[in-house]
Amino acid sequence: MSTIARLYEALGSDAVLTAPEDLSVYAYDAYSQERLPLAVVLPRDARDVADVVRIAYECGEPIVPRGAGTGLCGGAVPVEGGIVISFARMNRVLALDARNRRARVQPGVINLELSKAAAPFGLFFGPDPSSQKISTLGGNTGTNAGGPHALSYGSMTNHVLGVEYVRTDGSLSYAALDGAGYDLTGVLVGSEGTLGVITAIDVRLLRLPRSTRVCVAAFGDVEAASAAVSAIVGAGLLPTALEIMDKLIVSAVEAHYHAGYPTDAGAVLLVEIAGYPDDAESGERTIAQIARECGALSWRAAAGAAEREALWASRKGAAGSLGRIAPNYYIQDATVPRTRLPQALQRVDEIARAHKLPVGNVFHAGDGNLHPLLIFDRRERAQVDAVASAGKAILEACIALGGTISGEHGIGYEKRETLPLVFSPDDLAAMARLRDVFDPKRLFNPEKIFPSGAVCGEVRNPAQTQSQRQTLAAGGAWL
Amino acid sequence: MALAPGLDPAAFALGGKVPLRALAPASIEELAAVVKACNEAGEAVVVFGGGTLQGIGFSPARYDIAISTARLDKVLEYEFRDLTISVECGRSVERLNATLAERGQFVPLDAPSPGLSSVGGLLASGWSGPRRATFGRPRDFVIGSTVVLADGTVAKAGGMVVKNVTGYDMSKLWCGSLGTLAVLARANFKTLPLPETTRVALAALPERTRRRAVEHVAALDVEPSVAIALHGFPEAGGRDGQEGRLFLMFEGSHTLVDRATRDLRSAIGAAGVPETTLLDGTAATSAFARLLDAYGARLGERSLTYRSCGLPGEALSRCDALAHAATRHELHAESLLDILGGDAYVRVSTKLTAEFAAAVERLDASLGTSSPTYTIFNAPEMLRDGLKMWGNEMTSPATQRDIKHRFDPKATFAPGRFAGRANCSEGKRA
Repeated sequence: MSTIARLYEALGSDAVLTAPEDLSVYAYDAYSQERLPLAVVLPRDARDVADVVRIAYECGEPIVPRGAGTGLCGGAVPVEGGIVISFARMNRVLALDARNRRARVQPGVINLELSKAAAPFGLFFGPDPSSQKISTLGGNTGTNAGGPHALSYGSMTNHVLGVEYVRTDGSLSYAALDGAGYDLTGVLVGSEGTLGVITAIDVRLLRLPRSTRVCVAAFGDVEAASAAVSAIVGAGLLPTALEIMDKLIVSAVEAHYHAGYPTDAGAVLLVEIAGYPDDAESGERTIAQIARECGALSWRAAAGAAEREALWASRKGAAGSLGRIAPNYYIQDATVPRTRLPQALQRVDEIARAHKLPVGNVFHAGDGNLHPLLIFDRRERAQVDAVASAGKAILEACIALGGTISGEHGIGYEKRETLPLVFSPDDLAAMARLRDVFDPKRLFNPEKIFPSGAVCGEVRNPAQTQSQRQTLAAGGAWL
Repeated sequence: MALAPGLDPAAFALGGKVPLRALAPASIEELAAVVKACNEAGEAVVVFGGGTLQGIGFSPARYDIAISTARLDKVLEYEFRDLTISVECGRSVERLNATLAERGQFVPLDAPSPGLSSVGGLLASGWSGPRRATFGRPRDFVIGSTVVLADGTVAKAGGMVVKNVTGYDMSKLWCGSLGTLAVLARANFKTLPLPETTRVALAALPERTRRRAVEHVAALDVEPSVAIALHGFPEAGGRDGQEGRLFLMFEGSHTLVDRATRDLRSAIGAAGVPETTLLDGTAATSAFARLLDAYGARLGERSLTYRSCGLPGEALSRCDALAHAATRHELHAESLLDILGGDAYVRVSTKLTAEFAAAVERLDASLGTSSPTYTIFNAPEMLRDGLKMWGNEMTSPATQRDIKHRFDPKATFAPGRFAGRANCSEGKRA
């Protein structure tokens, strides 16, 4: 029996897609690569997933798990001929235990939906990638996603207490942080679907802060704003979020959202101070003082909840609103030590100039997590090449500054050939040993993370299709 | 091998086994050379930091060489304005935090005996202390690591940035691996700013008010960073006899801690708890240090400590069930209950050492498969191999074994730590 026939038999015809027009919807994520899978399956529960894995493994078909496809590095791009597992139907919060502040979710639950479900109990889920309105907790787990609040609450790995996952033989396993033995939870988070297919996630929930202030400071340029961030963190202050947008981004955001960011400033710094009301005023005063000493031109606190939410909504929708002014754009995700931010921004600017590409910056400054957006027109071949070259140069610059090549999107397909710039063959061999334990045949999301070992000069095409642009504009890429 | 000076092997005995040699390499390169040589010679290695948490798991089935990390104690990088630090893993937790304190920072590792406890040992042990619900576990602060694998390969993961998804998060695998996969040589941490002030509140906790007090503490508006219900553990500020003690710690601004104190008094007053004692400044930090030490404290050869993990809301019941079981087997039970994190530590003991082994073996056998998850945290060396050190179940045992085999095919590192001597005979991988 063929692979597809076996999938039909196991899952039923309504859970298996094979028509080219259906497959094309799953051919890409927020990266530029596009490849058609052999089939897409839509399992309803862990048992369905186990069946799919068993069939795929027996038939030698690669498996690519997929959340919402908001990852920037191609982690959810299908492997030619493989099976994509979409978790769209596994989207239930299975349990929410308010007393113990934890929840069990299926991987298809949308990030924001969990916080909405927890809100009546005075709780929320910490990691909040900008794509949280569409990205799933399964995908977030796969890439160890962060978001603006990673500064204070950490990334997914700090919130996942256990995972249920399907192994290559189709058996269901459970890894728990508190269990005896090696920390399998810790390695499964961020493994980009290469070690197992996650079917349920236990997460911890946090208590909603008693007080939240959101403030906006204007700066002459992005270097000054990032110097302020370095100074704030360097003074031992850790507000709950420190986000920067430069002029280009603010213009796009304001045109779309009208949230009240100053459009005449070279850069704006968004500061969130959440915690207890007792500390809110002194906290804001201290941070505002440092910002002024670093050249802030203005400082303004949001008047109330509505304004706070508007400032956040527009920040999280920044990439999407860029669609208004850019024919195409390419987003990079890299991290540097926080004191190196001004230098990193300067290097990004130099690299963009050298490649004659306009660049916008919207990023998680408090974590040193850069997201330069290079603007180009995919119809111009020279610009496409320039973007690829500039993207790599930015990664190299971040490495040279003591940073790394991925802050929250993983390595995926895009950065696997860059990985050897960060890690030695011995480092990578240690990681490969772990891979061997879980997936010796390399059928779980192959061609991701690990360098191909083949020619590294593969030309990347960072251009996006029309449908991708629409996806990004609708939901906001995951920054 | 000649590079690493020898130490007195007797100081590194475990489970009645004295290693042939004890070596203390002075650099990561030297460490790699020593490990490689041992691996090639088929000698079993136990890595020693301060030895404070060597009581976790079974004693090694084979044990030829002790490798002390004591000389690997340097600070490698500290850019305090980045709130990150990189140290060699032999550095004591106390010295790590002393370095950080000079810049008003800390890492909440909550090590018992921090002056002895090494950074690497603490991480390898998988230890997490009373502030894990508030700040996270030690592994949550590790942003990068360098290890030496059994074949002498030096492998790093992560880096010196606070947000990083570049390659597998191998540091998570090393943390909690009890030195069975690799030697932690270097660890990079993200740090936190020290709170403006720390206050400890101690309150009597009579039996009749215990459950209500625990509920009130869990519902406080200003969350304490530590909330422990003690029963016994006099060295930690608890009391012998029926009356328990509530140990709370608040960290933050003066304004916040003052308000927390007022809230606390009214909340636990409402629960029927009498007046609280407040400790500030060094009195508070000393009291916290004594509490941490109590986690690891053993009463000679006549006590051991069970650790039970699970939901915070069920911690009191789990704790009491274990304590009652101990009492039924004529063991004295003391408990240390983490109200926020849900861990319960129950120390069982006898008055006379001679009575202990038989009593604890009866208790251990009675804790059948239906018992909640528990592990034995700290047992006298000679009893370890006869007890269920890891409780009743280990998740994915085949995967666990496979990991061990891939990274340490010759079982050079502390063979049997997880599997036990019985499962570690020839031909079995552990």
